[in-house]
Amino acid sequence: MRKMLPRVAKAIVKGLLYFFLFYALPMFLVSQVSGFAPRLSTEYEQTVVLFAAVVIFFAVATELTSGTIYQHALNIGKALILVIFFVVALNGGIMKLDLDIIEGQRISIVADLRVYLMMLITIDLLGLAKSVMQMVNFLSEKTERQIPQPLPHENP
Amino acid sequence: MKQAVRSLGWAVGILWIILLLFTVTAVYSAFQIRPSFGEPSVATSGSTLTASLPIILYNGGFYDISKFNITTRVMDYRGATITRSSTLVPYVLAGANATITHNLSLAIEQAATSNLFHLLFSDSELEVEAAVRLTYARVFPFEISLNLSMPWGAPFANLTLGNISITPLNLTHARVRIPLSFENHSFLALEGTIQLEIVDYTNHIVGRGSTGFNAPPDSRFETDVEILVSGGHNDIREAHLYFQTPFFSYGPLVMSLV
Repeated sequence: MRKMLPRVAKAIVKGLLYFFLFYALPMFLVSQVSGFAPRLSTEYEQTVVLFAAVVIFFAVATELTSGTIYQHALNIGKALILVIFFVVALNGGIMKLDLDIIEGQRISIVADLRVYLMMLITIDLLGLAKSVMQMVNFLSEKTERQIPQPLPHENP
Repeated sequence: MKQAVRSLGWAVGILWIILLLFTVTAVYSAFQIRPSFGEPSVATSGSTLTASLPIILYNGGFYDISKFNITTRVMDYRGATITRSSTLVPYVLAGANATITHNLSLAIEQAATSNLFHLLFSDSELEVEAAVRLTYARVFPFEISLNLSMPWGAPFANLTLGNISITPLNLTHARVRIPLSFENHSFLALEGTIQLEIVDYTNHIVGRGSTGFNAPPDSRFETDVEILVSGGHNDIREAHLYFQTPFFSYGPLVMSLV
């Protein structure tokens, strides 16, 4: 219980910090563009909520399981989920938006964000590689600890 | 192993920060682009009508705009292309102003002789497809497209040949008076001649006449054309009209006189 308390406290602090960084701040920014493009802001509110939920959940969960194999497993899971999330949120890199400026006059905006998506995925995959290496390191250290140390013996 | 993990951790952290900074500055910069439009103008050169739209693009952001391309296509109500135009600006550097003039040319002579001749006689709605393509910060290609319709005023709208009156002169000839009228709904000041050929039931031309006209924009032109007709004036079937203006020539337009 004593061991758990600092972890829980750390998880709460991290959760609150991430909540502010990944939910409150982006939602504020999205609300700023709601007058300009209401439909866009509604769509992106959902995306921001989902992203914040994923990031906060994994931040809290990894903090609670720190020092165990689950911490690394959760980090790997987070990296994989974020890759899928980026692809879905950016619609495969091609974003299309239709705006009704005047009745009957429609502006269509298409943004090709494939290079940006590639950057996001590349960095996320580097994070995945780091988590895999951390896991291998954790397991090897654990195995090393389990090997019985040879007893010192006297030379004849 | 620990060293590798640590350096990978640093690399990932630094890359996330760089990407975040790039994202924030790119979004901020995109909102600093200020396009403005000058006064559109229309000029005629020979039989070509050119509409010009000056665009001033101020790139107040941190990143360059490249491959800035404006394409416009004007179509009639059936989707037939009347004119298409494209203007390319290779670079608009960060912090720089670019003045672009997008010209849309219409060869009226060519339009009159093609299947677009209905634009000479009927008011219509023209469909305009405009597209702006650009690459922002060298990694974000964008396309903004807009469809709109605009009214087209025909230069010879409501062209009418009224009831003809025939005055026999002798056994072989008669004088035919044909009331001719039209409204100039276009923005062109029209000046020129209309030539009429009177055709009988055997497809023979039995008389010719012409009239000059001067029709400023949004005006109505009315005149009576007098033509000396040979042969049996009861056999008159139709008139063939030929239009001559500084912008275009068109004919024959066949109109019934019965």
